[in-house]
Amino acid sequence: MTQLDSPPRSPTGGAAPLERRTVPLGRRLRRASMPWLLLAPALLVLAVLLLWPMLRVLNLSLQDFELRNLLRGESNYIGLDNYVQVLTDPFLWKTVLPNTVGFALVCVVLTMIVGTVVAVFLNSLGTAWRSISTTAIMVAWAVPALTGTYIFVWLFDPQSGLVISTLDGLGVMEPGSFNWFTNRWTFYAIATINVVYHGFPFIAVTMLAGLMTVPKELYEAAAMDGATAWSRFWNVTVPALRPIIAVCVILSTIWDFKVFVQIYLMPGGDGSTREVMNLGVWSYTQSFAQGEYGMGSTIAVLLTALLLVISVIYLRVLMKEDEL
Amino acid sequence: MIARRKVLAAGAAGSAALALAACSGDSGGGDGGVVDGSGKTITMWLMEGTNASADTYIEELKAAFTEATGATLDVQVQPWDGAHDKFVTAMAGGTGPDVAEVGTTWVPEFADAGGLDDLTEDIDAAGLAEGMVEGLVEAGTLDGVMYGMPWYAGVRSILGNKDLLDEAGVTTQPESWDDLLTMITTLKEHNPDWIPFPIPGASIFAATPFIWGAGGEIASDDGGSWSAAINAPEAVEGLSWYTDLALKHGSSTAAANTWVETDVLAEFLQEKVPMFITGSWVPATIAQDNPELAEKLVAFTIPAKDSAVAPSFLGGSLMCRFLETEEPELSFELIKLVTTGDFATRWAEETNYFPGTTEAMEEIVEAGDELTKVFATQMLEGGKSVPVTPAWGKIEGAKTMNTLVSSVLGGADVQEAADTAAAEMDEIFGG
Repeated sequence: MTQLDSPPRSPTGGAAPLERRTVPLGRRLRRASMPWLLLAPALLVLAVLLLWPMLRVLNLSLQDFELRNLLRGESNYIGLDNYVQVLTDPFLWKTVLPNTVGFALVCVVLTMIVGTVVAVFLNSLGTAWRSISTTAIMVAWAVPALTGTYIFVWLFDPQSGLVISTLDGLGVMEPGSFNWFTNRWTFYAIATINVVYHGFPFIAVTMLAGLMTVPKELYEAAAMDGATAWSRFWNVTVPALRPIIAVCVILSTIWDFKVFVQIYLMPGGDGSTREVMNLGVWSYTQSFAQGEYGMGSTIAVLLTALLLVISVIYLRVLMKEDEL
Repeated sequence: MIARRKVLAAGAAGSAALALAACSGDSGGGDGGVVDGSGKTITMWLMEGTNASADTYIEELKAAFTEATGATLDVQVQPWDGAHDKFVTAMAGGTGPDVAEVGTTWVPEFADAGGLDDLTEDIDAAGLAEGMVEGLVEAGTLDGVMYGMPWYAGVRSILGNKDLLDEAGVTTQPESWDDLLTMITTLKEHNPDWIPFPIPGASIFAATPFIWGAGGEIASDDGGSWSAAINAPEAVEGLSWYTDLALKHGSSTAAANTWVETDVLAEFLQEKVPMFITGSWVPATIAQDNPELAEKLVAFTIPAKDSAVAPSFLGGSLMCRFLETEEPELSFELIKLVTTGDFATRWAEETNYFPGTTEAMEEIVEAGDELTKVFATQMLEGGKSVPVTPAWGKIEGAKTMNTLVSSVLGGADVQEAADTAAAEMDEIFGG
């Protein structure tokens, strides 16, 4: 997006003022409009698919808009009431926000660590084994979130799941004595495993692509200087991969913040266990399950705003000025 | 919509005459041409999974409808998952069907929002107003207007595994809560590995018979303005007694705190559960999944505090006409064909649900087995609706009752949890 905002420099940009004056206005306009003209199809598609729905959501968030309004096509503006109501709700500050932010934080860190470790490991393999391993982890990525979630729910079934059966076999826990899904911490531990398992292959493959572009000579030179594998990683690999790491972190953050399916489909995650609710589920249960489209939109707008702020901070911290 | 209203007003007399004429040709047959629909198509939505042999039923319904009216019938089967959203989107976008099966708890919400059509006059004119199952009429009526024609209904009672119950020596109908508790403790002592009576945290309709059975209510209607009653002493007593079965008497397992009804059924199918609360449509499912077990089923009515039959949620579906339809008369012909006569009885037989008219209901009970009689007793003596208000859809959506049950099972104080639930309900009732 940042490239789009700054129009490309005109080829005559550096020329003397005298020469510039001779370029007729019409031609200058044509030149300036050329890039926009070329970008127009893409911008148009983005506007229709992204901008218009976003404006609609923004518009809805300022209304008390329910099923009745939807069917009758009536609007019902109430100013910022929805925002006031959401932002003054202790449920947001005590449950929803900590769940969303804490969960995203843990997932992003874990996904990045696992992804990077796997990438470094893959990079050290021969071509044949690398292809086999890459294919294997890509399967985990290709599994739909829905299927993956059901698999983990099934593994952790408190009555007859594999985990409890194993613990029972070891004599640690009786089946049915504890329900993982009603406790906030165990619920999110399971969700974390699910999300990290599902998210790390993308990071690993992307990082691997980056790793393979780092010149071997740099490592050799560092090794000659007596750098250990650990310091080679931090002083050669990480600086070389910084732009890729930045992209991976931003994408993971966005994905882990707006996680919905993986929570909603877990037992009690659909809103009946209130203490495990996150922003995504809250927005859904407000707008669709209860028909409070205005309130649901407000939550969605807040989630988007939060992500925007985080992305900007990331970009500032992770990228140097000239890379922006 | 406005255009249609005008047409309706102008042709009111005509349509009444047509509807009256249609009376003579009911019972699924007709003399071809009560309403001439040749060249027209009516779209109907049916919910998936109610009838295992829906395909044949639909084919024959299509044939009968074309024979009676000359119109083509297009039946679209919809899964229950996400059905609510689909209805809402269809109503908003004007892409809905002409006629649809709508679950009882959704009718007030959709009707209030302006998606469903008023059927009162059509039903009166067709002489169908008498003899409909009371609970379904109640669920389909909002401010004195009927928005749906009763189609089928089901109710929950206790279903047991005769082998396991015989083994422990508990085989008689519990006449009160005390009897039920004795049954449960006997089962628990007999075989501690069983889950004597699972308390599923994500199924509110297994809990409501105990709230109602103690004389409590979910909410009370004071001349059209509703207020929560779930935190009143009777409701709290029922809720405590029910959850104590799990918390104090070991009737359940911690795993059940997040179970939905199908999870309990899965355990029952593995013969680890001697008895559980389930719907009148479930024996048919069991007969398919485990025919051996189906042979040894036994049913009891859910007892109230001091009597054998507690009120139990009467759920089901009504046939509704969408406000957007361009063929109201033809649509009503279809509704009549489905909800009365042969097709209604047949649907009930094939699905193990009860039909929406008392006449067909009696037929089914006559022909039915012991299980059917028990469920029928529960339904006729104890069938009860959830609050009939558009706000109920929201309370269902907010999962207020689910949260209440599962949080109490998770160790929360009953009164406090009920107060929280009541506050949430009152906020929704208040608009």
